[in-house]
Amino acid sequence: MQVKPSGTLDEYLAPVTIEEAARALADGRASVLAGGTDLMLQAANGRTPYRGRLVNIRRIAELRGAAITGGRVRIGALTTVTDILNHAELAKAVPVLRQTADKFASNQIRNMATIGGNICNASPAGDMIIPLLALEAEVELASWDGAKIRTREVALEKFFTGPGRTVMERGELLTAVSFAVPEAGHRVRFAKSGPRPALEISTVSAAFAATCKDGVTTNVRIVLGAVAPTPIRARSAEALMEGAECSGDLAARAAKAAAGEISPIDDVRASAWYRTHLTEVFVRRLIEDVCHG
Amino acid sequence: MADKVQLLTSIEKKTLIGKRVPKPDSRDKAIGRTRYINDMKLPGMLHGKILHAGVPHARIKRIDVSKARDLPGVHAVLTADDIPEFIFGMARDNRPLKGGKVRCVRDEIAAVAAESEAICDAALALIEVEFEALPAVFDPAEAAKDDAPRIHEGKDDNFNLKYHFGSGDVKAAEATSDVVIDETFNVHYVTHVCMGTSCAIADFDPDGKLTIYSQTQYPYNFKMDLAPALGMHAGDIRVIQPPIGGAFGSKLDVYPYEPVCVLLARATQRPVKLMFSREEEFINAPTRQPVRIHLRAGAKKDGTLTFRDIKCLLNNGAYTSWGPTVPYVMMRTFSSLFRVPDVNIDCQSVYTNNPYAGSFRGYGNVQATYALAIHTDIMAEALGMSFVDLALKNAQVSGEVTPQGAVLNECALAECLTLAADKTDFRAKEKEYAALRDAPGRFKRGIGMAASIHNAGGAKIHKSDGCGTILKLDDYARCTVITGASEIGQGIDAVLSQIISEELGIPMRDITIVNNDSAIAPWDVGVHASRTTFIAGNGAQRAARKARVQILAAASRQSNVPPEALDLREGWVVQEDGGVPVIKIDRILRQMHFSDEPELVMVSDYYEPPSEPEGKDHVGDMSAAYSHAVHVAEVEVDTETGEVKVLKITSAQDVGRIINELGLEAQIEGGIIMGLGYAISEELIIENGQVRNPNFRDYKLITSPEVPELDLHFIESHSSTGPMGAKGIAELPTIVIAPAVANAVHNAIGIRFHNPPMTPEKVARAIWEKNSSRAAAE
Repeated sequence: MQVKPSGTLDEYLAPVTIEEAARALADGRASVLAGGTDLMLQAANGRTPYRGRLVNIRRIAELRGAAITGGRVRIGALTTVTDILNHAELAKAVPVLRQTADKFASNQIRNMATIGGNICNASPAGDMIIPLLALEAEVELASWDGAKIRTREVALEKFFTGPGRTVMERGELLTAVSFAVPEAGHRVRFAKSGPRPALEISTVSAAFAATCKDGVTTNVRIVLGAVAPTPIRARSAEALMEGAECSGDLAARAAKAAAGEISPIDDVRASAWYRTHLTEVFVRRLIEDVCHG
Repeated sequence: MADKVQLLTSIEKKTLIGKRVPKPDSRDKAIGRTRYINDMKLPGMLHGKILHAGVPHARIKRIDVSKARDLPGVHAVLTADDIPEFIFGMARDNRPLKGGKVRCVRDEIAAVAAESEAICDAALALIEVEFEALPAVFDPAEAAKDDAPRIHEGKDDNFNLKYHFGSGDVKAAEATSDVVIDETFNVHYVTHVCMGTSCAIADFDPDGKLTIYSQTQYPYNFKMDLAPALGMHAGDIRVIQPPIGGAFGSKLDVYPYEPVCVLLARATQRPVKLMFSREEEFINAPTRQPVRIHLRAGAKKDGTLTFRDIKCLLNNGAYTSWGPTVPYVMMRTFSSLFRVPDVNIDCQSVYTNNPYAGSFRGYGNVQATYALAIHTDIMAEALGMSFVDLALKNAQVSGEVTPQGAVLNECALAECLTLAADKTDFRAKEKEYAALRDAPGRFKRGIGMAASIHNAGGAKIHKSDGCGTILKLDDYARCTVITGASEIGQGIDAVLSQIISEELGIPMRDITIVNNDSAIAPWDVGVHASRTTFIAGNGAQRAARKARVQILAAASRQSNVPPEALDLREGWVVQEDGGVPVIKIDRILRQMHFSDEPELVMVSDYYEPPSEPEGKDHVGDMSAAYSHAVHVAEVEVDTETGEVKVLKITSAQDVGRIINELGLEAQIEGGIIMGLGYAISEELIIENGQVRNPNFRDYKLITSPEVPELDLHFIESHSSTGPMGAKGIAELPTIVIAPAVANAVHNAIGIRFHNPPMTPEKVARAIWEKNSSRAAAE
């Protein structure tokens, strides 16, 4: 075994407000602890060395919880995957989030892992990201500008720049993710590779969203995970379906198109061939489920 | 003499044999009270860590440990230069620390003892090593070539162990065959994944005698094997086996971390604990032996098997542990599973720069049965028969002797086959699913059967396959049994207590089992080969019977009832006929003790099973009993994703006689789950000598939700040699399951998998290729 340095911690802070947190992060020399399910492993194996100061944001009560107001869903960054699984109102308004949370890691990890952490980890295989992209979510970022809190909103689709990389600047804290409640008839579904029902990292994951009305498909979004450096929208497959009649071999054609938009790798989990194959299978199944189910 | 309670009319015989008895330590384990070796701390104890090479084949140009030695908290840093050249291992090809060159990624090149594991890690990071890469070879067929890089200096080639067994005339038998099937199988690397990672604690006393706290499964020969790695006398080593988190064969040899731990303790004169991280465990613990099996066999039209001609090539890896010796068991299966008179087997292991294999539950039989049971299914298909009918046609009967000299007393193979087929409606389903193979639909169902044979009465691979037992009863009829048999989680504690309770008529709670300390318990060959219930059970029974004779003689003298008319029941000496109480057992024990001719009940026994070691020709009745198991797997294949879902396993196993039904079920369930991993999900991926998936994320164990419905059937053949008629049972479930699943997958989709595991990608790819070639043909 090669021993890798993992950085050291010389300071620990546990703020209770967003402002305190933003100030603690301001110099960019801090690691943020939320659920810790990624951070602890990555610090231990050297992939994400600690930055000297650990800022535990878990005591910031206002960061946890989900609410639906004014036709918009807002989920605080500290909301755990278990919270999402158990949130009745959310499950009713956006069933795909519960569907995805149910396939996320294991019970123990869901109890700790937060939605903000899953987004900030920026894994192309991050499960919660996939339906959020299909919901065209935005993230809220907060930082300390020296005198006050500065916030900005970024479309989730523009958020990821590569595996583990985002547009977030050092010193910024992701505070929430939000999206419009899907309109009536707009359905969103998620699929990921097995075969294990728990503790399975996605070889391929996919989400499909569309409104199928009077035999015509509109508002189509196809999102794919683990098949490119970031989660991606399959834009040409979406274009193929937008306004098209959902009949005949449309699902198969769109699935083929989606499979052509990915840039999968060969790794220990799967070959590029299998990732392409599964992408096509999942997209076709999801379309059939949403449009004909 | 009237005992007061003689008013009791009668005491009936009650038995615990065949009952569901919880393991005595299960409560402590469930509530987290058990202190495993990994939890242990000795006063003044240091921690040890090993620097592994990380490269598969290289010359060590320079190694500089000076900075590591200077780190505060470090007590010792050792390299090969700091110790004499201790050579160990069954082929004497291994050393605790490697100098000069490294031969696989595991190679131990330095070791640190320090105040904490974190300081050890920091010290390892300060060791400077410069390697000069050497040409490496990873495939045994490549390594067998004349111009292949040499793994070990001073050897003419890379060949290591070689095995041949021949019986009859396979050429002549082939000429009489109507069908000949020729197939090649490649079975893969898997590892034990014990919940407790590898761990040892070494502690010297002032006289230079060593106590090693060890996970070993074979404490007595472990001393013998460890001694040369330390330059010590085996007699100066005491082995204590604290509770461990699983072994499954992985602790049947000395591995370098153990002498390294001891050498660190010797260098520091402090106790040293060395424990692997999970990643280290995946990379450095032994694996199951991978094998390439070329199997050519024939049959007549009516299904009579004619011959088998088999060649096996084994990837030895860089050093020799038990892995390359699996042909001893593989050959047994090839020559003994079903009646086949003419057999030729050649096996060869070849050194490579890969990590190396040890023993693993089922030993070579997992590999051999995978090939043979699939081959049998192919043969059955070619003959237009069902697997079960081909197997029944060639099933041996009690008393038959196999070509390698195994005497199949109490053979229940046909019963296992018939029961498994009847319980699953096998023949009808096999036909029905095969007919639906090409029907439309994403999901396909299949059913498959496999069978195997395994030693069930020990395995005489050493000069003795025995077990020592010391038994004593105190003045209160509490019994202490000191047994050589190791308890490593498998359940011998419950089984021995049941047997002794049965013989002595005292409750289980009054029996204490003492073992797992080589300074206390008498010799035993180790916990392996499905032997412990059989061997230690016989030993305990014999010891208990000696005590019983002593007690009954005393009771007879006192009561004037002849001893053969007396029995021990429920804490009483009773009259056998009618159960009339005579005297309480504790009372007669006190009377014996405090009489004019005082005697204590303390007896001993050394049980050696009636088996014989194989000769050089590999012939010999090496086990005192043999057993069969038949599994039927029912699967559903998602033909799009390639996922194989195992729906149900039906198992019919000859268990001789049930001693502890709870333990038996647990062993069979655990074995099936372990074997399912081998079949569909587990693979230690080794590329260019490197382990690519040393973590739970990518090494896919079967998890609870995937465990299928299990329908277990026990056939009691009543072994004439086993304790109470029992046979060893622990390995067969792991052995039989994978080919049953493979045959079921074939039944579902018409594709054979000669290279497990049947992962979703592998299955999807095979289906896609089949569809593509079919489309091309049309």
